[in-house]
Amino acid sequence: MNIKKVLIANRGEIAIRVIRSCREMNISTVAVFSEADRNSLHVMLADEAYCIGPAPSNESYLVIDKIIEVAKTSGADAVHPGYGFLSENASFARKLKKQDIIFIGPTEKNIKDMGDKLSARELFKKAGVPIVPGSPGPVESEKDAIKVSKEIGFPVIIKASAGGGGKGIRVCLDEKELPSAFRACQSEGENYFNDSRVFIERFIQNPKHIEIQVFGDSHGNAVHFFDRECSVQRRHQKLIEEAPSVSVPEEVRQKMGEIAVTAAKSIKYEGAGTIEFIFDNSTKEFFFMEMNTRLQVEHPVTEMITGHDFVKEQIKVAQGKKLSVKQEQIEKKGHSIEIRVCAEDPISFIPCPGKIRRYRSPKGPFIRVDGYAYPGYKIPIYYDPMISKLIVWGKDRKDCLKVLNRALQEYMITGIKTNLVLHRNIIAHPKFKDGTYTTQFIENEFGERKQKDFFMYVDEHVFLISAAITAYKEEKRKDISKYNYQSQWKNTGRAQSMRTQ
Amino acid sequence: MLFEAESNKKKYTIHVNEGVLDWKIKIHQDKKEPIQYIVSKNDYQTLDKTISFIFKNSSYLIDVVGDGINYDVYTRGSYRSIKIFNDEMLLHESLRGGDSLSDDKELKSGMPGKILKVLVDKGDQVKAGEPILIMEAMKMENEMLATKDTKIKAVHVKEGQTVEADVKLISFS
Repeated sequence: MNIKKVLIANRGEIAIRVIRSCREMNISTVAVFSEADRNSLHVMLADEAYCIGPAPSNESYLVIDKIIEVAKTSGADAVHPGYGFLSENASFARKLKKQDIIFIGPTEKNIKDMGDKLSARELFKKAGVPIVPGSPGPVESEKDAIKVSKEIGFPVIIKASAGGGGKGIRVCLDEKELPSAFRACQSEGENYFNDSRVFIERFIQNPKHIEIQVFGDSHGNAVHFFDRECSVQRRHQKLIEEAPSVSVPEEVRQKMGEIAVTAAKSIKYEGAGTIEFIFDNSTKEFFFMEMNTRLQVEHPVTEMITGHDFVKEQIKVAQGKKLSVKQEQIEKKGHSIEIRVCAEDPISFIPCPGKIRRYRSPKGPFIRVDGYAYPGYKIPIYYDPMISKLIVWGKDRKDCLKVLNRALQEYMITGIKTNLVLHRNIIAHPKFKDGTYTTQFIENEFGERKQKDFFMYVDEHVFLISAAITAYKEEKRKDISKYNYQSQWKNTGRAQSMRTQ
Repeated sequence: MLFEAESNKKKYTIHVNEGVLDWKIKIHQDKKEPIQYIVSKNDYQTLDKTISFIFKNSSYLIDVVGDGINYDVYTRGSYRSIKIFNDEMLLHESLRGGDSLSDDKELKSGMPGKILKVLVDKGDQVKAGEPILIMEAMKMENEMLATKDTKIKAVHVKEGQTVEADVKLISFS
């Protein structure tokens, strides 16, 4: 079946990303938006757009029935969920199918199998995927948590079974930290995902986050598109991603890819997926972490080095077609890095929503910006603070870093705090430059207590002079307006006399 | 015109004199020697509300957002929040005295968000480090802790309420 019209059940940059590929495939697009997103860019770019409720996502973007209703009234024959929101919601996939609407994503069973981290681990263990030592099942009580952790050995990581996006995850270095972390994970799991089950596993020190992009189709084929490294994280949320990883030797990359394909085939995976591994940089061992059954935020870096458009591939597979490429046809070329530009304080990482005054994105060779910000846009408080992704390509990593550095210097966002300046500091850091950074890189090198001067690119006096002259002009303006107010009659008289002449 | 400025926890005295062709800016930081800059108006222009400033032969594109006291200055991906007072404001400040509300008398919202849980009631005794309120802002759940042993004087918000930045949440006695 050919898809003619796609509803995008998302917002922000990913909604725009999907609209772009649809347009290239001659498919019409339907956007949905909350009351807070009336002026968001995806609403303006789609062929049609419908309001689906108030600002909080659980009253709009997460309400399945409202989205299905819009799909039906607009005549959309497929729904693309983007990432986040309903992208990994099995009942959403099921309900769409019931209405004969295609869900552009994996099967309901794929989502269920991989959504529960315990069952995912069991399934992949059977398929021969290496697993980190951990609790055999959900851990019920604090007492059990302590017992299991002692068996595995500290440090341990506690995870809510349905957790993700940095929610419901805590690291404990010793027994003391365990009880409160255990409780926090249970309650975050309960609050965010309606599932309070948690499990515990070994926390690997100096780890790297390496993931493999996979793709499957309904004909039993599966391929991989190499690896991405996403070790630059804060609060377990990714900040910078690159492809390929500098730390993975070619033969290990090959092995990881093969294992990922075997794993995907073992569950008859359909569509785009990512198998995340924790990678020990000293031993070059890797262990399965989880599988994300959606298109990832960082998919563009893989698109850049392989030349494949993953949204288009997703749509083709959803139509029941075979994958457009075979494994041996997939090649990588050069290096790509993505940075996530967030409306947040670069030092404390606290989100800073607000109104953007100036916005000028970088341009020129080998630069791609997937974003939704524009001058005058007010970033709502209800959603993710990420406003754009800056993706660059270079013939090798060194070249890529040069392009990225140039792009960061061109990027101008004013009116809100952003982490652009943090990114400039990160890519100038020796550990980032030589690729030895781990997932603790940000915490260790840029933590709040380190008191780094992020603003070294600008002379302090430049700030002071501009602020002082602006304050001076403001004072002057006040004085003049006072004067004008006192002589309103005089002004009017003068204006009148000018007119009659 | 004389200003007192505070930026990055450092204090400055700044003289601004406007000439016909240039700005004379004298910056004096605590015990350091004052530095005088003569900035030609040609080197400091305003283009479409953005400032184009040539400083030490390097061109900066600057955006300044201010409300009369607090100025946010953005340039080259960096920003500074600078407090600026002129003589008149300094007078008001000194009249108000040093009795401004200190941080440990009340808990304020650092940013807009939603109150998820209020864990204390009026009259409760709390210990330092004890969670008193859970607030959600941009998808992150933040537990707000008591900074010292104290008693809850008043709770100003309800669970489920959405608050703006810098709103009083809880008062301590």
